[in-house]
Amino acid sequence: MYSRREFGKVVLAGIPPLAILTSGAPQAQLAGRPNRSRINGVQFGLQPFCYHDLPMTPENRGTLIKRLVQNGFGMVELHATWVEPRFATAGVSVQEARERLRRWRLTAPPDFYRSIRREFDDAGVVIFTYYVNVDDSYVDAEIDAMFAGAKLLGAQGCVGSQGLRITQRLAAFPGKHGMFMSVHNHANLSDPDALNNEASFLKALSFSPHVKATLDTRHYTAANGDCLEFLARHHARMSSVHLGDRRRNNGRSTPFGEGDSPIIQILRMIRDNEWPVVALLEFEHGTLRTGVEEVQLMFDYCKRAVA
Amino acid sequence: MSNRRWRYVLSCEVLLMVASGAAQSGIGPGYDVELLGPPLADPVMQYNKESYVVYGCAYCHGVNLVPVGERPDLRQSALVGADVDGNLIVGILRAGIPQTSKLSPMPQYSDLSEQQLHAIATWIHYARQRDRYASLTQAALPPGNAAAGRAYFEQTCTACHSAGGDLAGIGKKYEPAALLAQILEPAALNTDRSFTLDRLRDTRTMAARRRHQSLLENYSVEQVTNLVTYLQGPT
Repeated sequence: MYSRREFGKVVLAGIPPLAILTSGAPQAQLAGRPNRSRINGVQFGLQPFCYHDLPMTPENRGTLIKRLVQNGFGMVELHATWVEPRFATAGVSVQEARERLRRWRLTAPPDFYRSIRREFDDAGVVIFTYYVNVDDSYVDAEIDAMFAGAKLLGAQGCVGSQGLRITQRLAAFPGKHGMFMSVHNHANLSDPDALNNEASFLKALSFSPHVKATLDTRHYTAANGDCLEFLARHHARMSSVHLGDRRRNNGRSTPFGEGDSPIIQILRMIRDNEWPVVALLEFEHGTLRTGVEEVQLMFDYCKRAVA
Repeated sequence: MSNRRWRYVLSCEVLLMVASGAAQSGIGPGYDVELLGPPLADPVMQYNKESYVVYGCAYCHGVNLVPVGERPDLRQSALVGADVDGNLIVGILRAGIPQTSKLSPMPQYSDLSEQQLHAIATWIHYARQRDRYASLTQAALPPGNAAAGRAYFEQTCTACHSAGGDLAGIGKKYEPAALLAQILEPAALNTDRSFTLDRLRDTRTMAARRRHQSLLENYSVEQVTNLVTYLQGPT
């Protein structure tokens, strides 16, 4: 009998060579084939923040795609920093960099986003959501451009960690683009504007039917919330879970299975009820291993949960 | 040093040395050398570093304290600079920082043992000292002010040193770069602690080492250049 970590090492040793996996899955096959990380009815994906050893830059996007394939993922939540050019360089003030980014967003040609989508399509990876943290500096046209860009990438919606006030403003936008805006919780119980418990989620969801919930299981657990109860009550308004483990009472992040987040039960609820809630692995527990190895171990834990 | 405190320091060091065996197991297949850097020569400090990484501190504060994104820079933290043997850091680790304007509060680590919490604090200090040493020895330092150096010396160093006594002529003994290195890390203190019975209670050396380590991680450019200029003068 293997322990969880020993089992992961055995599975990891069996990863096929990268060259074979990245030989390219044509787009037609992508459309016609089941997603490679749909397992027993549960659609898995990755928030590539988990690759702690890979800075989230456009230059590293090719490596990201290779890693996603290597780890067996066919779906990703793509943070804007993997896509947008950097304007915050030496000698450029914060304000100037922000203004340049705004101008870029308002004028970026559709083919820019299409070509990035093609990179992921060719590798058989679907961009499920586009992650952007919107703040007060965003003008309306920029928010529209964000959703338009996300749609060109193939995303079904945008996700962010903004508070209730900004979410209320954002709620008017996704419907115009045939998309959703998903709100993501953290564990900050001292900020009345924060998404941190069921009541704050309900408030956000009340702003528009196009607002959905991305339940971060780590932070919800750390804020002493009940993830299973949340799923049971609100699954119809959920786009995804950010699947990870933490200890209660603002405890630390842990490898899957070592904290208080009921990961196995969450996955089985999604599987057995056939809910279209995407399980996006996202974690930030410490590890001495490479990002690819750690992601594989955590993914293997999830696979066993739905086997 | 009180007997209680002495026993505490001793127990911490012994436990860390024992734990170094476990630390060794982390170095091998699966150890991310590219991100974490090569294993340190000191296996106990390697254990401290691994504790800091494994318990998630590096995710926000960086392996070598270069912060990720807008997270607090521990290299510049006044609280870390004022910490002595974890007396401030360990309490914060145990309780976390739940009240914050940031998106996510700092978690609490109350499930870790005293030894684990002190290992994290020790790495933070060590990484801070290495960072400060590198920045002070590798950069071109501006000219110093002897008078300001003397004032700093009298305020900070005279409890143990005298410019006309134990340090007389030190400016002639060392070139400026070597003198700077001596100020930052005196060679006489840069040795492993001995656990032979006759030196077990050598609290003077332990206190001196601790004092110089604390100074190192808190020195400003001005302070060390002024000190070098003062000690190179006719003392």
